[in-house]
Amino acid sequence: MSDFLSMLWQTAFFFSILRITAPILFAALGAVVSEKAGCSNIGLEGIMMISALFGALSSYWTQSWLVGVLAAMLVGALVGFMIGFFALKLKTDIILAGIAVNMIGDGGTQFLLYLFTGMSGNTSGLTTAKMLIPTVKIPLLDKIPVLGEIFSGHAVLTYVAFLMVLLLWIMLQKTPLGLNIRAVGENPNAASSVGVSVLRYKYIALSMGGALAGLGGAFMSMYYSQSWNVNMVAGRGFIALAAEAMGNHTPLGAMLSSMLFGLAQAVSIKVAGLPGFSSDLVSAIPYAITILGLAIYAAMRISRAKSVHRIRVPKAMR
Amino acid sequence: MNNRRRMTLFNLIRGCAAILMALLVAAILIFISCDEPWLALRYLILSPVLDFKETISFNAMSLYTIFGNMIPIMFTGLGVCVMFSANEFNCGGEGCVMVGAFVASLCAIYIPMPGFLHPLFCVLVAMLVCGAIMLIPALLKVKLGASEMVCTLMLNYVLLYIVKHFLTNVFADRSRGQTQTLRFLDTAQIPSIVVRAKLTWGFFIAIACAALIWLFMYRTRWGYTIRMLGVNKLFSGYSGLKVGGTVVLAQVVGGMLSGMGGSIEMLGRYTSFKWNSLPGYGWDGMTVAILAKNNPAFVPLAAFFIAYLDRGCQLMATYCDISSNMIDIIQAVIFLFFAAEQFLAGYRQKLVVKGAREELLAAEGGARA
Repeated sequence: MSDFLSMLWQTAFFFSILRITAPILFAALGAVVSEKAGCSNIGLEGIMMISALFGALSSYWTQSWLVGVLAAMLVGALVGFMIGFFALKLKTDIILAGIAVNMIGDGGTQFLLYLFTGMSGNTSGLTTAKMLIPTVKIPLLDKIPVLGEIFSGHAVLTYVAFLMVLLLWIMLQKTPLGLNIRAVGENPNAASSVGVSVLRYKYIALSMGGALAGLGGAFMSMYYSQSWNVNMVAGRGFIALAAEAMGNHTPLGAMLSSMLFGLAQAVSIKVAGLPGFSSDLVSAIPYAITILGLAIYAAMRISRAKSVHRIRVPKAMR
Repeated sequence: MNNRRRMTLFNLIRGCAAILMALLVAAILIFISCDEPWLALRYLILSPVLDFKETISFNAMSLYTIFGNMIPIMFTGLGVCVMFSANEFNCGGEGCVMVGAFVASLCAIYIPMPGFLHPLFCVLVAMLVCGAIMLIPALLKVKLGASEMVCTLMLNYVLLYIVKHFLTNVFADRSRGQTQTLRFLDTAQIPSIVVRAKLTWGFFIAIACAALIWLFMYRTRWGYTIRMLGVNKLFSGYSGLKVGGTVVLAQVVGGMLSGMGGSIEMLGRYTSFKWNSLPGYGWDGMTVAILAKNNPAFVPLAAFFIAYLDRGCQLMATYCDISSNMIDIIQAVIFLFFAAEQFLAGYRQKLVVKGAREELLAAEGGARA
């Protein structure tokens, strides 16, 4: 046991937490934007799969990782917009629209891969060094012993993910765009009564959420597993939904709970390498922890609501 | 033509339009990707029931295969109908099918029983286990307000890995190259009607189940409560219906049906358990439920349609250069348009206006006379 703890107490392990958190964080931030506008986008999983595919393919076609990342973002935004079109214009239940996108993400991507390349299952044959998202060493920081090993040398998108937390917070709290998005989510009638176009901001929020999830997809296929594989996202889009709910619908909260799930995955990867542990049972841990986290968060919210209630109602009035 | 009949007609037209839309998307994809698009289309649309070898003839065996493939998705479809009727977006069908099939397999291998009782016992155990599993998301929803959807999506992965663990580490038949359990006892097999098409008596059990679930949903108090919850949860609670208990009931019944589907599929069409990934019947069940508009009576028809298309895609993939995963895109398009309330809304508006004019004219005519 102490061996195991000392194995975790290493800089490489903390480094891996950040790396594993990044895709979940992107999707969780995407969920935050959509949720703020009052749309629960459960298609994030599918969006990640689709944009991971298009990211990998377009970086292969142009031999430039940047084009790949941008394409993934664009495709993510388009799919988000499509969910908006069906949910807002044609009044499909948004949850069903999300499920449909997940279906496309699951089997449809395999169809598209075969259509574009004639390959099935994965794109590992296509990968070249130019297509992968480069890692950066941060000057000065990488000279510091422990901190440098943990925080320097990540992929560009890992830094972007954590930077996005700040940017998204500024956008939501400090700009007119963010104010409108929140207004539309909290009280659409009030928003429209002062001339804010509800539909427009819902479309914007869904597209932005899609673009963020698209970045997560690009991270998966162009850095994390270095190629596109069937089922590569493996529920990260769903975990992100849980992270968003646990994070109380704020960018910072989403980041903290994403890191919690990142930690769970990092631990389970470590444990799977140990002898005597069933790799299958260990793989179930991150998902089980997500359910547990969701339950604990919900329980805490209820008890908080109860305590607030108790304070507000004086004894004499009961 | 009164207004109600006009709306029924409109719904029928809209359903057909949604399906046509999906087939149109399929046709476009085929024309982009295939050298012989017409041949591919023929495989997709006609070949599941027709044989084109020398002369065109009816292919009964292929039709039986479609019937056979309908069995699991009818069960999952019924389960989703019950849960979606209550507006509970429980996506746990997938995991329940897996667990149901696995539990039934274990009973079929390790608990000897006389012939007729054995499959019945296996299916019952699978149903009970899956019903119990669905208590987790249901109780979390009722007691804590946690999203049943996220919970079940996660639960699917947990169940998958638990089943895989037991399959590889505890119950594996070491004498085989592939990871699988021992053979089921012969008594546990669900007998086939047409052996070559793998069509079992499960088909008729599924049809009977559809009838039973229809009765449950439309002729019992509980079914009515479930449907009321879907229409307006707040009002249901206000008017004294037991909201919490009904949410649990809907999800447990849904889980039991999925488990039943998994176990009947496994005992009828396999001789040992060897799934090592989720079979996908849970998602197919969702498409079936959407196509059936959550009405159990339409589930067999919807399941036939999906199984037919699936077979068409398989044939197309075998004989033309197209991936059989196209079925997922077709299903997604059906999903999107079928559930779209405002799809063809302009046309509905015209129908309503026309109806109102006719009524006015009739009223005027009556007044003058």
